[in-house]
Amino acid sequence: MLRAELEHSLGVLMLDVTLELRPGRTLALAGPSGAGKTTILRMLAGVATPACGRIVHGEDVWLDSRGGVCWAPERRRCGYVVQDYALFPHLSAWRNVAYPLRELPRRERRARALSLLERFGITALADERPQRLSGGERQRLALARALAVDPALLLLDEPLSALDPRTRAGAMRTLAAALRDLDVPAVLVTHDWAQAVHLSDEVAVIDHGRIVQRGTATELAGTPANAFVADFTGAVVLTGVVRARTGELTEVELDGGGSVLSTVGTGNGRVAVSLYPWEITISRGTGGPVESAQNRLRARIATMTTVGNRVRLALEAGQPLVAELTAKASRELELAVGTEVIASWKATATRLTAL
Amino acid sequence: MRTNRWFALALGLALCVTLVFLALPVVAVFTHTAPRALFHSLGDAATVDALRLSLTTTAIAVAIIVVIGTPAAFLLATRRFAGRSLLLTLIELPLVLPPAVAGIGLLAAVGPGGILGGVLRGAHVQLVLETAGVVVALTFVAAPFYIRQAHAAFEAVPASLRDASRTLGSGEAATFLRVALPVALPGLLAGLALAWGRAVGEFGATLMFAGSLRGVTQTAPLAIYDRFASDFPGALALSAILVAVSACLLLTIKLFGGWGIAGAAR
Amino acid sequence: MRRVLALGAACLAVIGLGACGGHSGRPGLTISAAASLKSAFTRYAQAFKAADVRLSFAGSDVLAAQIEQGFRPDVFASANMALPQKLYARGLVSKPVAFAANRLVLAVPASSTKVKSVGDVERPGVSLGIGSPTVPIGSYTRTVLSRLGPRAQAQVLANVRSDEPDVSGIVGKLSQGALDAGFTYLTDVTATHGALRAIALPPNLQPTVAYGVAIVNGSSQRAQAQQFIAGLLRGSGERALRSAGFLRPRG
Repeated sequence: MLRAELEHSLGVLMLDVTLELRPGRTLALAGPSGAGKTTILRMLAGVATPACGRIVHGEDVWLDSRGGVCWAPERRRCGYVVQDYALFPHLSAWRNVAYPLRELPRRERRARALSLLERFGITALADERPQRLSGGERQRLALARALAVDPALLLLDEPLSALDPRTRAGAMRTLAAALRDLDVPAVLVTHDWAQAVHLSDEVAVIDHGRIVQRGTATELAGTPANAFVADFTGAVVLTGVVRARTGELTEVELDGGGSVLSTVGTGNGRVAVSLYPWEITISRGTGGPVESAQNRLRARIATMTTVGNRVRLALEAGQPLVAELTAKASRELELAVGTEVIASWKATATRLTAL
Repeated sequence: MRTNRWFALALGLALCVTLVFLALPVVAVFTHTAPRALFHSLGDAATVDALRLSLTTTAIAVAIIVVIGTPAAFLLATRRFAGRSLLLTLIELPLVLPPAVAGIGLLAAVGPGGILGGVLRGAHVQLVLETAGVVVALTFVAAPFYIRQAHAAFEAVPASLRDASRTLGSGEAATFLRVALPVALPGLLAGLALAWGRAVGEFGATLMFAGSLRGVTQTAPLAIYDRFASDFPGALALSAILVAVSACLLLTIKLFGGWGIAGAAR
Repeated sequence: MRRVLALGAACLAVIGLGACGGHSGRPGLTISAAASLKSAFTRYAQAFKAADVRLSFAGSDVLAAQIEQGFRPDVFASANMALPQKLYARGLVSKPVAFAANRLVLAVPASSTKVKSVGDVERPGVSLGIGSPTVPIGSYTRTVLSRLGPRAQAQVLANVRSDEPDVSGIVGKLSQGALDAGFTYLTDVTATHGALRAIALPPNLQPTVAYGVAIVNGSSQRAQAQQFIAGLLRGSGERALRSAGFLRPRG
C-alpha cells in the first residue's frame, strides 16, 4: 500500500497531489506536458524532495517533511524507468541489469541478470553495449534492470514515448503483461490516453499540478469531471476478435456481444477498436438502416454528464461506450438515464489496432 | 558558387599556416643538428638528471592533482551552491596567470617570508630551493588544466544516469565510483594529458620559487635554458628528448582514452 | 557585419598605437645588457637624447648566445670581457671596450645575522646561491671559490642550493629570505636600497670584474651606438654608472 501527499512549487507550477495505491495495481498519471507528472515520480523515487510532503509505503515512512524523515533513493528501492532509459553506456546489457546486485557472488549475479533478460526476450544481447541496441530492446533492458532490484514500487515515465509507432504495439503488450504479473504497486506516467487505458487499472488526470479526476478509464471517459478531462480522454476503446474479411470491410466480433465493421484491413486475432465519442450518432428507434453508418449497437444510457454545451453519454452495450452530442440534440431526443438508444457510427471511423 | 570555393581555399590556407607554424619548431629541434651530436648529448649525466627530475616531479604533481582535483571537480559539477561560479573562476585563475606571477605568488604565500612562511618553518617544512618546491610550483600551474577538463567531463555525465544509479541501490560514493567516473573517464584522461604537458614545460614559476640546481630543482626546461648559452647542441638534444617523451605520453593517453582533447572539449 | 568590421578596425588601431610606443621621430637603438646593469642603463637611457633606447636584460652568456644565433642588437654590454672578446674573434662584434668595473660581494638579507663573513658560508647548513657556470657572476664566483683552497671550496659548493641563470634570481631569493647568502655584485646590493647587506671579500679573493661593451656588426645605427658607448666612458652614462656604484674601468 502506497500513500503519498506531496506539495511543492516549481516555478509556475504549484504541485498538490494525494495518491493512494494498493499492491498489484497500476495507476496511470495522465496529463499534458508540464503538468508535474514527472516531478511526482521523481519525488516518489527520492531523487527530488517536495517542499512539504509525506510518503508511506506499507509500514515504512519514506518521507515526512514535518518529522524530518527522508529516505535516500537507494533505501526506497523503487524500480524507476525514465523516458530515455538512462542505461549505463560503459556496461554491457547484462551488467546493466546486474548493477544493483552487488551483494551477490558473481556467478549468481550473472545468472539472475540473464534470467531477467530472458523474461524480456533479449538474452542474445547480453554482452552488447546499450548503444548498439534498438529502441525497443533498450526499453526492455531498462525494464529488466528496474525489476532486478526486486522493487517495492515501480515507476515508469513515458515508457513507450521513445519508441517508433511500429515497435510501440509490441512493447505495449510486453509491458502490460509485466505489469499484470507484478505484485507491487506501479505508477505510470503518460500523455497518451490510449496507453493509459491499456496499461493501467486506474487513471488519474493531472493538470497544472493537481489531480483533476481519478477513476477507471471508463468512468473518466463516461463521466468526465470537467471539459479538460473530457477533451483529454480521447477515443473509446473496445476489444474484439477479427471474424472475417468481406470485400473491403473487416468484421470484428466484440467481446460481450455485437459486431462492427471497419475499413481498416488488419490481420487476424485480437484487435482494439477505437472511435471517438463525437463520431457516434445517437438515435431512438428500432428500424433498419436509415443512413450510411454501417455500425449499429443497441445500448442503454447509464449516465449523462453535461460538459459545457456538450453532453456525454456513458452507454451500456456489450462493452461500455461513450458518445458525445450537443446539449440541444440531447434535449430534442428527450434522452434520459435508462433510455434505450441506438448508437451508430461509420465503418470508416472505426480504427483497428492489433493487440 | 565561386564564393564557396574561395571560402574553402581560405580555410585550407589558414589550416596550412597553422600546421607549419606549430610543426616547424618541433621539426627543427630534430633536424637542426646532426643526430650524432644529439645522441652524444644524451649520455650526459646532467641531461639524465634533468630528465629524471622532470619525470618524477611531474608524476608526483599530476598524482596530487588527480587525487585532490577529481573529487573537487565532481562536487563542483554536481552540486549547485551559492558562489559556485566564483569558485570556478578562482580555480581557473592560474590558467591565465603568467608563470612569473605564479612564482611571485607562491613566494608570497609559502615562501620563507610569505603568509604561511612561519607556519611552514615551525613544521620544519622547506619548500624553496627543494624538490618539494618544484612539485608545489608544478601543481599550482597545472591543476587548473585538469580541474577544468574534469569539471566539464563530470558535467557531461547525464544526471539521469546518476539518478538511475541511486534508485538502483548505490549511494552517492558508489555512484561516483561506478557510474560518474567511468563515464567521464575519457574527459578526465584528456585533462590529465593537458595538465601533465603544462607541468613538464613549466619554467618561470619553478625558477623563481624553487631555484635551479642540478639533480634537485633543475628540471628539463631549466636545464635547456642553462645550456642554451654554452652548449646549443646539448640544449637541442634535451629538447628533442622532451618532445619525444611528451609525444609518447600524449599518444598513450589518446589511445587509452579513446577520445582526443578535442573530443573531451565537446 | 558592420559591427565586426568596426571591432577589427579598433583592434588594429590599438595594436598600431602599441607598436608605435614612444616613437618620437628618433631612431631606435637596441641594447643587450647584462642583468646587473639594469638600474644604471635604464637611467642612462632616459637621459640619452640621440636615439630611442630599447633595453634587453638577461645573463650576459644568454645575450652572447643570442647574437651567435643571429640576433642583431645594436650594442652588447657584458659583465665580463671574455664574452664580447669571443664574439669579436668570430667577427660578430667590433673590438670590445672596458667601460666599468665592479666588485663581487657576499650579499645577505639585511636583518640576518647567520652569515657575517666569507668563512661562515663554509659551515654546513648555510643555503647559498651563486650564478650558473657560464654566466659572468657565476664564473667570477667560481674564481673566488678556487682561491679558497680545495677543502673550503668543496664545503662552500656543498652549500650551493641554486645555480641561477642571472644575478637577479640570486637577489630576488635573498630578498625573500629563501637564501642565507649569495655572491652578487656590489651594485646589486646597492640597488636594493637596504634590503640586502654586502659583506666585502678580502682583497686576495676579489676577482677582477671588468665590463665590456661592443657595437654589434651589422647594426644600422653605428653613429648612435658609438655615441652611446662614448657616453658610458664620459657623460651621462658614466654618471649613471657612478651613482649606481660601478667603478672606473681598470687600465
